[in-house]
This record gives sequence, C-alpha cells and structure tokens, in this order.
Amino acid sequence: MAVNSEKKGKWSSEAVLDLYSKLLTEIWETVSALIGESILEFLFNLAVQKLKGKHPFLLTLKVSEEGISLDEMKGTCQGKPPLEIHRGFQSLVTHLFDLFSAFTEGVISRELFPKVLPKVREAERMIAHK
Amino acid sequence: MRLVVKNLNILRSIINAISTSFEIKEIVAAAGMHLPNLFQFSSFGLLWKEGPSLYLFQEKSCPASFTQEVVRNMVKIYSLLGEEPIDPKQISLHMEKRRVNPKLIATTASGSLKSHLTLPLAIEDEIMGCLSINSDRPNAFDAQDLQFFSVIGYQMAATLKHFQRFRSIKNIAIYDTLTGLHNRRYFEERLGLEGQKAFSASTPLSLVMVDIDHFKKVNDTFGHTEGDKVLREISSALKTSVRKKDIVARYGGEEFILILPEANLEDSYQIAERIRRLVENTPFEIGNVRLSLTVSLGISNFPNHQPESKEDLVEMADQALYDAKRSGRNRVCIFQRDAEKQNDYKEEDPCEALVES
Repeated sequence: MAVNSEKKGKWSSEAVLDLYSKLLTEIWETVSALIGESILEFLFNLAVQKLKGKHPFLLTLKVSEEGISLDEMKGTCQGKPPLEIHRGFQSLVTHLFDLFSAFTEGVISRELFPKVLPKVREAERMIAHK
Repeated sequence: MRLVVKNLNILRSIINAISTSFEIKEIVAAAGMHLPNLFQFSSFGLLWKEGPSLYLFQEKSCPASFTQEVVRNMVKIYSLLGEEPIDPKQISLHMEKRRVNPKLIATTASGSLKSHLTLPLAIEDEIMGCLSINSDRPNAFDAQDLQFFSVIGYQMAATLKHFQRFRSIKNIAIYDTLTGLHNRRYFEERLGLEGQKAFSASTPLSLVMVDIDHFKKVNDTFGHTEGDKVLREISSALKTSVRKKDIVARYGGEEFILILPEANLEDSYQIAERIRRLVENTPFEIGNVRLSLTVSLGISNFPNHQPESKEDLVEMADQALYDAKRSGRNRVCIFQRDAEKQNDYKEEDPCEALVES
C-alpha cells in the first residue's frame, strides 16, 4: 500500500512537471518568436527571482537563450506534493502574463492564450481529481 | 510576400541607420526617422538609467500631457524590471518633435496614451533602461509590430553596447586613473584646440601650472599610498576651484596643469590664488598625522606673453612655476621675461606685483 501511494505520488508529481514543461515550452516558443530569446530569458528569470521566496523549487528551473529545462527540477522535486508544484508554476505563469501585459499590453497575451489556456485547465483538472 | 520583402528592407535600413550612430540621441533619431515606415505611432522613446535620461522622438502635435503619460508609463514599466526606481522628476528629457506620420490625423490637444509596446534594454546582462513606442490610438500595435520592434530593440542594445565600450576606452585614453583628472595626452590635444580658438577669435587663454611643495618628503616619509591620497585630495581641490569651462589635467608626478579659456591675467591670478589658499588652509590626514601642505603656481597667458606656439605657452607657465619655487614656494607667479625679472627683483617681488595692483 505504502509502495503504491509512493508510486502514485511520484507519478503525479512527474505528471504535473511534464504538463508544465510542455506549457512553458509552448510559452517559450510563442513569445520568443515575438520578442526574442534574450529578453524572454530575462523576463523568465525576473519572474523566478520574484517568486523564489514562496516557491524555492522554481530556482531549479533552468532558463537560457536555448530554452527551458526542467531536468534538474525533476530530480529535486521527487516526493514534492503535486499541488505545491502546481501552485508554484501557476504563480510563475500568472506573473509572466502580468509582465507580458505590462510590457506589450494585449499583444503577447492574444497570441498566447489560445495555446496555453487548455494546458492550464488540464493542470487544474488533474489537481482537482487528485 | 512583397509586403514582407518591403518590411525587411525597411528593417535593414533602420538597423543600418542605428548601427552607424554614435550617440544615444542620434540612435533614437535614426530609429525614429525610419520607424514610421514600419508602423504608425505617436512617440518613440528610450529611457536610459544613467542620468536618468529619456530620449523621445515624438509627433509634434502631441500635447504635453501625452509626453507626461509616456514618461510615467516608461518609469512604471522600468520599475518592474527589478531595478532601482527612477523618480520621473529627476529625468532629463531630450525631445525631438517631428511630423512623425503625415498620413495620420494629427493628435488632438486632448490626445492621451492609449497603447504602447515597451521592451527592456539589456546590455551585457545589465538592464540599462527600456524602449517604447506609444500611440494615442487603442490597440495600435499587433504581433508583427512587436516582432519588428524587438529586432530594432536588439540592434539598439548592440549599438549602445559598442557605444559604452567605446566610451570606456575613450575614458581610459583621456583620464588619469589615479586622480580622475584629464591626462597629459588630453591636455595637449585640448590645448591645441583652445589655442586655435583663442588665436582666431582673439580671446585670451591662460595656463596655470601647479606643483605640490615638498611632495617628495611626503612620499619618502609616509609611503606612496599616502602620497597618492594627497594627489587625489589636491586634484579634488583643483576641480572645485576652477570654472566649468576650465580643463584640469595631471601633467605628471605631482604636477598639474590648468587650461583657462577666455581668462585674462587677472582672472587666472584669482583662480590660482584661490587654489593656493584652499590647499594652504586644508589639513591633510596623512597616516595618523595632520599635515599642512602648500602648492606653487605659475601662470602664462596669451596674448600678454606673446607665445609663438602652444609649447611656448607651456614653457612660460613652467618658467613662472620655477620662479614661484625659487622665490620661496607657496605662491603664484606670472611669467616674466628675463630682462623684466632683473628689473623687478631689484624693486619688488614680481609675484606680489599683481596682488598689489
């Protein structure tokens, strides 16, 4: 039973991480085509720095001009409650959207919403079912 | 397809115009002139944190309230970048007003900021400010505008990076690293220019050569670190004693030289005397000791001393400094030819003559 729940927990964390990995990659691809990798890298890191106090695990998110990598995070987040991971990423995505809106008003959001919103909903559904 | 090619060509022209500019103002103007070919906007701005300064290229019919809104908006967005907030009142505004887009209906007097695109300006991982295009129309920009604007932003950042490097190399070339004063090389260059100006406009030009009295003793007794401290303090005394248009340079060792454009003998004597008194009355903390130091100063002047070249003018100031040293130090001497000196020495101290007069 203990093995099962551990397995189940691990699977859930991984699933949430996989989901957000896809979502962040989507954000990266869409927004970098609009404002370039370097500015986007800066905005991602700015958002992570802003949220690191509340969600320290976000510091293991690697952002460079090449893109986003969750490899390190996947190692350090083993056993972390999926809900906590979800909340952290939710804050990150919200903060990024706030930054995009402040800088470009609706221009980035208009491109991004149709692609990203279904994935956010999927994450919320997954967490709600759990 | 033809539109894409046209836009790419415009983009190329903008990038070319930006990359051949040498100053922020020029970069903004170069971009501002070409941007209307890509999109319609009311103003284009660059907020630069050093200063801080805001360079605006703006439609001339925009009211002052629009400018204020742009300033406030750029400052607000800049504050999101995690940098020290900028006080809008401290910003020096450099604005170029033009008819940005003749096809557009001129902004009305009540026109307000309705939409914008703003991007951070990052140079070598440091945020130096932000760039913005603004409009008095709602939803004036789309995704393609943002793409073009970001390409322009990158080019501007790259050009500004070169510009900053060029400026730091230029600083190394013209400033003395120990004292922060101009170096001898810059002094010589500048003297050439000021000399030409004085000669062609028939305006006076003075040189003041300054030497710290008994500086060798300071170095020998307290060491070079303390000696360097003295050099820095005297340099700052020199800087605070001159006028804005004067040039202060380290000539070498403990010798300094001042170029005083449009200063006649009396003006230069007053400045030199101010320096002498300031140093004399400044207590210098050297090691654990408080010391009094003095300086000697020599003045030469065009046209009074009829120098035939800039080298002549320097030689004359040097000669006057030598006289100040020989006649007891801690004094200001004005250049005199040997024949004049012999007469003067018999009658009175040449260095005091002007004070009395």
